[in-house]
Amino acid sequence: MTRIKTFTVFLFFFLICVHPRLSAADYSKFSHATQKHQAACNTCHKIPTKNATTFPDIKDYPDHDACVSCHRPQFFKGAKPVICSVCHSKTSPRDEARYAFRNPASKLQFTIEFPHDRHQDVIAMLRFSHAQQNYYNCTVCHASRTTTFKAAPADHSSCFNCHWKAQQPVATNCNGCHKLATPYVPITDPTRISIKFMHEGGGEKKQHIAECTTCHINITKAASLRGLKPDVPITGCTECHNKEGLRQDLNTELVAIDKNRNFTCVYCHAPNVGSLDPPASHYLIAERPALKRKDIK
Amino acid sequence: MRAPKLVFFAILLMVTVVLAQQPVPRQTGVLRLRVRVKADDSAPLRGLARKRFFLIPGTIEQNRALIDAIERQALLSRDCYYQKIGASSALINWLRESDCESVYCRGVEQEFVSGPKAVPEFATAFATSQKEYGNDETARQWLTTNLAPNVRDGFYRTQQTVLQTLLKQAGPEVHSVMTDRNGTAYFTDLGPGTYVLSNLIPTELGQTFVTWNCEVQVKPGDLATEKPYLVSNRKDRNVKCVGIEKPKPVCATD
Repeated sequence: MTRIKTFTVFLFFFLICVHPRLSAADYSKFSHATQKHQAACNTCHKIPTKNATTFPDIKDYPDHDACVSCHRPQFFKGAKPVICSVCHSKTSPRDEARYAFRNPASKLQFTIEFPHDRHQDVIAMLRFSHAQQNYYNCTVCHASRTTTFKAAPADHSSCFNCHWKAQQPVATNCNGCHKLATPYVPITDPTRISIKFMHEGGGEKKQHIAECTTCHINITKAASLRGLKPDVPITGCTECHNKEGLRQDLNTELVAIDKNRNFTCVYCHAPNVGSLDPPASHYLIAERPALKRKDIK
Repeated sequence: MRAPKLVFFAILLMVTVVLAQQPVPRQTGVLRLRVRVKADDSAPLRGLARKRFFLIPGTIEQNRALIDAIERQALLSRDCYYQKIGASSALINWLRESDCESVYCRGVEQEFVSGPKAVPEFATAFATSQKEYGNDETARQWLTTNLAPNVRDGFYRTQQTVLQTLLKQAGPEVHSVMTDRNGTAYFTDLGPGTYVLSNLIPTELGQTFVTWNCEVQVKPGDLATEKPYLVSNRKDRNVKCVGIEKPKPVCATD
C-alpha cells in the first residue's frame, strides 16, 4: 500500500515537471517544433517583409498579430513581458529595436535541402570556355568570404532570382528547402587539411582560377547537403605542384622527411597536419612506397 | 553440469552474432573520366565540358534493354525544340552561343534586354519585372521569373523526363557525375565490378548526336591518380570508349 502511495506521489510530481500545461512555459524562447507553431509558414511570415529593400525577401520577424492571436495574456503581462524578448532586443513598449533576423545568437531550427547535382545541370552549363565569365556558376551562391574559404548563402538573394515564383520550390513554399530539425549550431568554418591553399588570387602567380568542380570532384553528384564533404583529391594539387619540369613541391617535402623524420610539411599544411605521416595518396603521386615517420632512421 | 554448457553456448552465440554485425571494410575504386571530342573533322580535339555521364552496374548484355531504349529514343535538338514553340531566332542564338539547355545557364546581360542584340522574350519579361519589382537591376536579374515556362526551361524539362524514365529502368544503383571544363570527371566510391558508362541522353555535337555506351571494369583499389579512362567520338589507340554518332534530324515544320 505504501509502495503504491509513493509511486502516485512520484508520478504526480513527474507530471508537474514535464507536462507543458502543468509547468510554466518559457516564453522567452520560440520553437517551430511546438505543435501550434506548425501552421503554414505564411500564417506568420509575410512575403515580402516591409524592409526588403533590394529585392522581395523575408528580412524581418512576423508582425505582432502573429503572436497576439494566441499569446494575448503573455503580451500584456507586466511592464516587461518576457515574450517580447524573442524578437526585441529591449523589452519596452517604447522601443521597437529587434535582433537581426534571424537572430545569429539562436540555434538554427531548420536544415536546408539543396541538390547541388540538379543546380549544376541548369546553372553551370558552360560547355566550352568563353571570353565572358559572368555565367551562372558556383559563385552565384558561393562568393569569396576570405581568400581561404568561400561563403555559403546567408539569405535568399541567390535563390529567389530563379525561385521567387513559378520555378519550384517558390518563395511561398518554404518547406521545399527548409526542413524542421533538432535545433543546432551551424558550422561556420569547415575543416581544411591544406589550410594554406587560397582560392582566387591564390598561388604565386595568382593562378588558382580553375573552376570549382575541377578540384571539388563530388559536388556534381551530391543530391543533398547531408554528408557533403569538400572532397579534393591530391591530384587537384599535384597536376601543377608535382609535375616533371614544372614544380616538385610534394616530392621536395617527402625527400625532406627521408632526411629528417621530424620535418614538418609546410608548403600546403599548418604544423598540426604537416607533422603527421603523409597519407598513402601522397606517396602514390610521387611514385614511391608509403613510409611511416617512425620507420625512418 | 548442464548450466555451464548452456552458458558456454549462449556466449558462443553472442560472440558469433556480434562478429557477424561487424562492418566488413569495403574496398572501393575510382574511375577518372576524360572526355575529348571533335565537333567535326576540322575542329580541334577538346574536352567536353559540363556533360553528365552515368555509370550503371552490370555488363552491356545485362543492360541490353536499357541500351536499346537509349538508342531508340527520339532525337530532339535544342534548336528544333525552340523553333517548335515559336521562340525568336535571337533567343535560339543566345542559347546556342553558350550551348545552354535552359535560360538559367548564363546571366542575361543588359545588351540582350534592350538594343540591337535584344532578345524579344527577355525584353517582354524585363518590362513585366520592372513593374513588379520596381528596380531595374532586380528586374534584369530576376527576369527569368517572368518568362513563359516552356521558354524558360521547356527543353531541359523535356530532356529530364526522358532521362528520369531511363534512370528508372537503369535501377537504383546508378552513379552520375558531370565533367568539368576540361572534360574530366571522377566516379568515386565505386564497388568493384562491371559497369556500363553511358550519357543516356545523346549529346549534341556540331551537326551530330553522340551516344556513349561502354563496358568498364572497376577493380578494388583503383585510384583517382591512375591514368584516365578516355572517352571520345573519334577512334584512337588510347580511347577506351568511342561514341556512336548520328546526324541531327531536320527540324519538323508545322
